[in-house]
This record gives sequence, structure tokens and C-alpha cells, in this order.
Amino acid sequence: MGELQTKERVLSIQNLIIKFKLRGQVLTAIRDISLDLYKGECLAIVGESGSGKSVLVKSIMGLLDKNGYIDQGQILYQNMDLAQFTTEKDWLKIRGKEIAMVTQDPMTSLNPLKTIGKQIEECVVLHQGLKGKSAYEETLKLLRDVGIHDVEKRYKQYPHEFSGGMRQRIVIAIAIACNPKILICDEPTTALDVTIQAQILQLLTNLQKKYGLTTIFITHDLGVVAKVADCIAVMYAGDIIEVGKTEEVFFDGKHPYTWALISSLPQLGTKGDQLYSIKGTPPNLFKEVKGDAFAPRNQFALEIDFVERPPFFKVSETHYARTWLLDPRAPKVELPKALQAFFEEGRRLANEK
Amino acid sequence: MKNREVLLEVKNLKVEFGKGKSKFTAIDDVSFEIYKGETFGLVGESGSGKTTIGRAIMRLNEVTDGQILFHGKPINGKISKDWEREIIQKIQMIFQDPMASLNERAKVDYIISEGLINTKKYKNEKEREEKVRKALLAVGLLPEFASRFPHEFSGGQRQRIGIARSLVMEPEFIIADEPISALDVSIRAQVLNLLSSLQESNNLTYLFIAHDLSIVRFITDRTAVIYKGNIVELAETEKLFNNPLHPYTRALLSAVPEPNPFKERAKVVEIYDPSQHDYDRNPPSFVEVEEGHFVLANEEETARYREKISLGVS
Amino acid sequence: MGIYTKEISNISDKSSEQLFQFAVSDDHQAEETAYSNYSYWQSTWKSFLKNRVAVFLLALVLIIVFFTLLQPYLPGQKSPTEIYLDEQTGSQARNIAPGSEFWFGTNSIGQDLWSRIWAGTRTSLLIGFVVALVEVVVGIAIGAMWGFSRKLEAPITQVYYIVENIPTTIVLILMSYILRPSISTIIIAMCITGWVEMARFIRNQIVILRDREYNLASKCLGTPSYRIILKNLLPYLISIIMLRMSLAIPFAIGSEVFLTYIGLGLPVSEPSLGNLINEGRVLMMSPDLRYQLFFPSIVLSVITIAFYIIGNAFADAADPKNHV
Repeated sequence: MGELQTKERVLSIQNLIIKFKLRGQVLTAIRDISLDLYKGECLAIVGESGSGKSVLVKSIMGLLDKNGYIDQGQILYQNMDLAQFTTEKDWLKIRGKEIAMVTQDPMTSLNPLKTIGKQIEECVVLHQGLKGKSAYEETLKLLRDVGIHDVEKRYKQYPHEFSGGMRQRIVIAIAIACNPKILICDEPTTALDVTIQAQILQLLTNLQKKYGLTTIFITHDLGVVAKVADCIAVMYAGDIIEVGKTEEVFFDGKHPYTWALISSLPQLGTKGDQLYSIKGTPPNLFKEVKGDAFAPRNQFALEIDFVERPPFFKVSETHYARTWLLDPRAPKVELPKALQAFFEEGRRLANEK
Repeated sequence: MKNREVLLEVKNLKVEFGKGKSKFTAIDDVSFEIYKGETFGLVGESGSGKTTIGRAIMRLNEVTDGQILFHGKPINGKISKDWEREIIQKIQMIFQDPMASLNERAKVDYIISEGLINTKKYKNEKEREEKVRKALLAVGLLPEFASRFPHEFSGGQRQRIGIARSLVMEPEFIIADEPISALDVSIRAQVLNLLSSLQESNNLTYLFIAHDLSIVRFITDRTAVIYKGNIVELAETEKLFNNPLHPYTRALLSAVPEPNPFKERAKVVEIYDPSQHDYDRNPPSFVEVEEGHFVLANEEETARYREKISLGVS
Repeated sequence: MGIYTKEISNISDKSSEQLFQFAVSDDHQAEETAYSNYSYWQSTWKSFLKNRVAVFLLALVLIIVFFTLLQPYLPGQKSPTEIYLDEQTGSQARNIAPGSEFWFGTNSIGQDLWSRIWAGTRTSLLIGFVVALVEVVVGIAIGAMWGFSRKLEAPITQVYYIVENIPTTIVLILMSYILRPSISTIIIAMCITGWVEMARFIRNQIVILRDREYNLASKCLGTPSYRIILKNLLPYLISIIMLRMSLAIPFAIGSEVFLTYIGLGLPVSEPSLGNLINEGRVLMMSPDLRYQLFFPSIVLSVITIAFYIIGNAFADAADPKNHV
């Protein structure tokens, strides 16, 4: 509890609403979200496609599609409200320099016509103010830092001469070269093979420690979250429905959607039996969401879930969940067996630690 | 185990792409058997050739060498028209990306009955419509969806339309090529459950191609791990996961992220280095180290693996 | 204190005891949630309507087409081919400036330019539509086979190289010499070479689509090639086929003008935009008679530009990426 208060808040999103104009209709992609990011922590935003997790980080980088706009709310960073930024010139002060991003497909972030060394060096020159030999040395150091061997030779090679995993390392090197305060990783390993994914995740965790980075990690893979995250924000249909420390969300989750996500993991299933599954499909954001967006698919849905959007209920100093089940008037819920066992195991492992 | 009926047999399969200098061997001397009623997993990373094997069985990729037998009869190369018609009906495929595998400009009704129209497996319009209706219900969709276009559906629903399209043909054998990896996490379980319940009710045999080992472990009976066009290890799934022998299998297993923060952070990731094998001097072969457990290994490695097993058992 | 605590006090008074009961689940509703009412053609049409210029030109073209068909049956119309005589002198009513009698004036042998322009437009549009239609039908048929069948690919490519390397103009000139000049001659001449571009275009598109997963799926189901082409491939190409077709019409009209201009097109007795412009060209240098070039040129320009703009606007509208 005290630990939290001493932490420095780096980025604060307050009551953010983002809308998109699409085919003459207005779609609400982010529905009144508030979120804090503290220095040095790794926040994982978990959600499926269409949950708005990518839109959220794009708005932080000023990269919203041209038909999207911030309807309401603030994005506070260093006494600035990024939500008020309108011109590219404003954003260039932030992008790269303060907040850098690593995307899913490394090829889109690299210039195929320039050697990777030059591309990294450009950032070093621009953002670290180094020149000539010292910029070159810094570039080689960055390449070594992201786990590339034979750096002098690699410096002169073009992106197509690298494998997917290596390219992602180079993109990470470019992001770090800008010396950012916040690093956003948007599904950085989704396109990679599992063995490569494991290496990249390890690399990102090491770099985070080494450079004291604050990281936002976007993913749908709970395994990846378990590896990298200090805190988790679970998103569903444009809303954060649960936020807390990694262990809290994993082993003491409160929102039925969080339960459902964990229960439907094949690791929790028993072979030959049916796996726990969430019925239906994610909602269409064109329709106005009333109450809790997850209610139609929620086996524990209460009548009130269809009427009124639940507020954040406080579970602990760091853990909040947006579900009426936490209301004192709500009935008790019997969790699925497999989930109970999973929570049990988590508590046991926490004690052993 | 030995006396189970073999449904599909792949013998010394070799698939090459391109000619001359740009020739590339995607599959090199792969053999395996799939028993009737089981789910056979084929696991590998991108470029390992797992999809090529599936497509060779579907006759979409040409086979350079070797044989594929279905019910003991060859299905690759030149085959008779009648036999071809029969295997088109008996062997079906479920594709990875439900966004790409449905014809956007056709109604669901046509998409599902496409195979029926080809094989003329109905007497009149009414019977065809009834079959489409049943297939939609079987995959948990509403019959009125037949008159809609695919773009109106979400990924999970589209994948179920893809399954209905295979199901309506009343197949015996289904190749599922990464059927859930393109789906949202919240609907993967739906589709997995659907596949298992359909297997039971329709007496299906699956070849389940995937890269996600946690799913493979949950759904398959036997698993083959494929690396660069070669199967490196094949065993009953539980045996393979509990006692992986080949260093590549071990690396792959250790790399899968565990959705448990405590376990995941305590885990040591193994890295596979192909140069650890001494295959130039001592070439490997596909050997059975214990009953039903095959590993690609040379003599020295075989001895080591056998010793490991005997230690593990005792 | 975190930022979330404030909200907790905001629970509305609406929440009564009854609301805290488990809701009855509805599977039907759970399936329906993802329904979107997007329709391709509706969105295409809506985006097209947003382009005011194109909509205006489309209306204009429709009016012109309608009017050319209707014009001969209107009261008080003169014949496009009859040579009118001056009532006083009895000689040909030559080069009379536009006025109440002859709205657009007469030409050098005393024919009524107003009715000749509409007759000419009718002829040119006919040529344009027929040639575009033949090009599209032949081009699609050959292009589809070319792109889809791996056996036919090599022979059709060879034919393509041959036809492509003979300049269209030479073919047209030869054709005009061999056959007697007439509307059908000029249509045949233009069709002989016209399909090539269309076929190549369709082929390229089909090669792009051919190996998409949904076509592999159809192959796995044993769907015959012709049905894959008809049901899986061509429907995806409809918008670009329409674009090509709308561009082929002004191109064919332009070709006719060019051929007639160099003297290989339609006979002088057959009014067409080409003939009219050719006649007007001779008189271009005398300021009084320039109207004989102006009127047909204006009609030609309007039709050509209109089709180009409509075609492009339609192609933009038909691209799903622009359906925002």
C-alpha cells in the first residue's frame, strides 16, 4: 500500500472517451476509461480484438485513424494534456522521444532501403545528440544490448537479411535509441514463433530493468502477460473491467470476464471433457452498450447488469473491478471447479514465495 | 494399440517446391499413421512444413515422392475419378483464417451447400435446405443465418460456418489447419469444444495442425513434432509432454508461455541448437525408443534416450 | 487514494434489490450480438452519392443517352441526312449560322447540324457501348481462363504477345481497307484488339485472388473450375470490371473519332461524332464557321469526361476501404 504511494505517476488517463465515425454512424471505441501508469512498471492491457486496446495506445501516441477522435477526457503526461494535441508538430515532441512503440509486424517499422545500422544511428543522432564516432559506438552498443552478435557486420545489412525475430530486435533497438520514458509494445510477439517469442519477451524484461523503462504491453495471450506484467488492465468492449497487480488479477480475479478468460485456457481443462467456454461473440460497438457489455455472454449476469454500468469496486489498494457481483447486495457465486483449483494453486505458490 | 485400424498412412512423403537452383524441400521423408477415431496433432513452427503436409493430403500440393494412403488406397498422383469423388467427400479441411476462408460474395446457404452441389448429395431443394439447416444447428448457429453474407459474422461464427461446410459432406477425416489460432481468446474454447463434440457424435478422425502446444496437449491423442520438414518426435501426447526426448521438442515445450505468473517466471527456457547433433558422421533415423514413442536420432542418441526412459520408468 | 474510489459513491438510486438477481440467459441473443448491417452495394452507392460532380455527370449522361433516343420522335425535328434548300434561291442552304430555323446552323452542304449532332452522338454511343460490351465479355472469358487454368496459361500468353505487339492502329487501318467502311466494320475492328487489355487485366486480378484460402476451400470441396470463376472470383471483380467498362466507352468513341479523322472510319453519309468533327476541322480557320466544330466537340468532350469521372468515382466508391 505504501509502496504504491511512493511510486511516481508517469501517465494518467482520465475519463477518456474515443469515438469513430464510420459509414455515417458513430462508434464508441473507448467508453470512459481511467488508467494510471507508474514509473518503472510494466502494465499489460489484455483484451481480444475489438476491445479497444490498440485504439487506446494509438491515442496516447497521436496515431488515431483520421476518422477517430477524442470525445472527452484527458491524457496527462508531464503537465501536458495529450488529448488536447491537434497538430503533428505537438505530437513530434512526444512520439519517439518520450513514448516509443514496438508493433506487431517489424517490417512495417523498418525502411527496407536503409541499412539497419543507419536506421538506429539516425535515432541516436536525433534523440541523444551524439555525432560521428560516438553515435556509431552507441549504435553498436544498442545492437549488442538487443542480443545481436557480430554487430559490425550486422550494422551494414538491410532489413530483408534478417529473420522475423531479429527484425523485431532491431525495432526494439530503434525504440530504445530514442531514449523514451515509456515503451509501448503492441502485440510484439504475435507474429513470431514460440521459441523466438520466448527470447524476445526475455529481452524486453531485461531491457526494462536495464533502462528503467515504463512499459505498456498489449496482448491477448495470458501466457505472455504472466511473463512480463507487473499490473494488468483487462479490457472488454472499450472498457477496462478489471485492473490490478498481476497476481491479483490471475489468482483473485473478480470480474466474470476475467474468470471466463482464465477458465477457458486449455491448461485448465481436463482432457476428454469439455473446456469451459464463453458463449456468443464480442459485441458490435455500433450498438449502444447498456449496462455491462459482457452481460449477454455472462453466465453470472445479474438483472442490474443489463440496466446500469457497474462502477469500479475496490478489492484492494491496487485492485479494482467493474462488476455488480462485488456489490454487498449481490448473491454469492459458485466458481467453476477448475478455476477454484487454479486460484488455490496461485495462493499456494504465493505463500511458498 | 497395434491392432487399431489405420485410416490414413503417410509413407516417405517428400514435397519439393520450385525447380533447379531455387528448389526447396519442404517435406523430407516423412512417415506417420493416423488411426481411426483419434486426433493426431502435428506441431511445428512456421516454415516447418506442417501446413504442406495437410495440403498434400488434400491434394492441393503435389507430392514429389512417397505415398499417402487412405483406407489403404493411394490418394496422391493419378487416381480414378470415382475414388477421387469419394475422397473429396470423405476428407475435409478446416482452414486457419475464418476471415479469408469464406467467399465474401456468397450467402452462407451457398457456402455450406457448395460441397453438396458438387457431389449431388441431395434429391431436391428441400432436402438440401434441410441439410444446411441441420449443419448450422450442429455448429451452434441459427438456421436463419443461411440467408446472410459472411461479413455479418464475427470470427468465431465464421469459423463455425467453415466447420458446417465440412460437416455437411459427412466426412470421415478432417484436417484442421490451425483452426483456432486466428480466433479471439474468448471464443477459442467454443470452437475447440465444438470440434471435440462433433468428433464424438460423427465418429470423426482429426489431423490437428497447430503451433500452440497448450491446445495440442488438450485436444490430441498422439502428437508429432515437426522441424524443418522432418518429424523429430512422435508419441502419445501425454508421453510426449511428460517425457520429451528430442532437444527440439524440449525447447519448444519450454518456450510456451505458462499462464501462471509464478510458474512462468521460475521457468528456464531451453534453446535448441541443431549443431549439437553429430549427424554428418552419424546420420539419424526415425527409431522407436519405447512402444509408440519415435524419435529422430542416431545410434548414440538412441542409446542415451533409451537409458533416460528406463531411469524415468523405474 | 486512487482515482477510482470517487465513482463508488455514485451508484444510482435506481439499483433496487430486485436488480441483484441472476438474469435469465439467452443463447439466441448471445449469438446475435455481433450482427452488423453492412451491405457492400449499399455502401458503394452511398459513397458514390457523396461525389456531387460524379452524380451530376451521371445524370447528364443519362439525359444525353435518353435524349439521343428520343430526339427523332420529337415534333419539329429535321432529318440529319436531308440537304435543305434555301427557299428563296433554291440552292443548298449552306453554312447558315445558328438561328431559329436551324438551331445549330447547317453544314457546308446544307444539312441540319442539330439533328446531325444527335444522330452522330447516337451512332458514337452505340459503337461505344457495343465495343465496351464485347471487350468485357471476351476479355473476361479469356482473362479468366488465362489466369485460372495453369494449362492454358502458356498458349494464351503467346497469343497475347502476338496481338499486343501489333499496333492497334495498323490493325484498324487494315481492317478498314479489307471490309467496307460501316458501323459494323468499325466495331469489329475495334473489338479485335480491344479485348487484349481487358483480358490481361482480368488475368492479373484472378492470379491475385486465385490462391486465396476461400478458393482453396472450394477446391477441397471439389467445386469445378468454371463455378469457382463464376461464384468465387468474378463477384470480387465486379466493381473494377464496371470501372474498365465505363472507361472503355469513351475510349471506343475516341477511337472512332480518330479513325474517321484520318479517313478510315465511317462513310460521310453516316453521321457520327467523328464525321462531324472531321467536317468541322476543315472550317476551323474561318471564325464565322467555327461553330461547326464547336458543337460536336463539346458533346464529345462532355461524354468523354463524364464517363472518366463517373468511372473513377465509382471505382473509389466500390473500394471497401473507402466505405468509411
